[in-house]
Amino acid sequence: MTRAEFMGRLRRGLVGMPAAAADEIAADYEIHFEDGAAAGRSEAEVAAALGDPDRLARELRAEAGAQRWHQEQNPSAAAGAIFGLIGLGAIDILILLPIVFPVFGAVLAVLVSGVAIFLAGGAVLVAGPFLGAPGGVLAAILMGVGLMGLGLFMGGLMAVLTKWLIDATVWYARLHYRVLKPALDNQPQAWGRN
Amino acid sequence: MPETIEIQLKKGVLTLCVLALLNRHDSYAYEIASTLSDAIDMGEGTIYPLMRRMQSDGQVETYMVESPSGPSRKYYRLTDAGRRAFEAQTTEWRAFARAVESILDATAQPAAPVRTTEDVTAERGAEQ
Repeated sequence: MTRAEFMGRLRRGLVGMPAAAADEIAADYEIHFEDGAAAGRSEAEVAAALGDPDRLARELRAEAGAQRWHQEQNPSAAAGAIFGLIGLGAIDILILLPIVFPVFGAVLAVLVSGVAIFLAGGAVLVAGPFLGAPGGVLAAILMGVGLMGLGLFMGGLMAVLTKWLIDATVWYARLHYRVLKPALDNQPQAWGRN
Repeated sequence: MPETIEIQLKKGVLTLCVLALLNRHDSYAYEIASTLSDAIDMGEGTIYPLMRRMQSDGQVETYMVESPSGPSRKYYRLTDAGRRAFEAQTTEWRAFARAVESILDATAQPAAPVRTTEDVTAERGAEQ
């Protein structure tokens, strides 16, 4: 593989990352080729020693995704981190799905009931005093506020739990990154499809 | 997944090796990669994801050095957190390696298992 081929495949693999970060990574590898040339190695030798550019790109993208999740904790960063790590093979989707679906379903159910209880509390609070609730006006107001509080608490708890679950997944997956073996070893299998 | 132990082992050791190299002197990626790929069997390209990860974990930081020939070069140096990580991981590694060695030695000499065990216990006691 020539330097241009390696860089082309790496570049294609980095599509989707912020341009500045992708440029910086590409520059690192360009300099690696130059240093290799200065040390008297051919482009093919350097490319072979570097490893599979597709896999390197996946690893770099997964790392960037995990990094982004730690900085800005929103659903899109979470999805980016998880999908990056799945692409890397650090998370086995087939093993993960049976665990994720029930947990995700339970979290979602509690979240929805939290919202429902919150709304019901609001309705009791507003309508109760006028509809002659049992126990009088004060009881209706207190019950409304109480229900809304419970709803908020359930929602908050689920938000914390969800964040914790994603943190745990990202942590686990980063622990299971696979180290690239020198490309020479797996060249036939990895590039067999070309 | 095949070769998981080998992969996990190398991955753990790789970080420690980079920390050790940088603890000795600041370095640039090509130098780190060529040193390590000679010493342990690894793809040179792996060093770049690893360096970015160590950077985002706050273990290393970069600075540019003007080069007389060509563009300026990116050097890596250990942060205080990196130095602490190096010390902690070195201690862990030494203890782990010693434990594995003693087990390997014990199985290599089945004729004197009692003495070996005592030696190990004595060694352990001396350390603590």
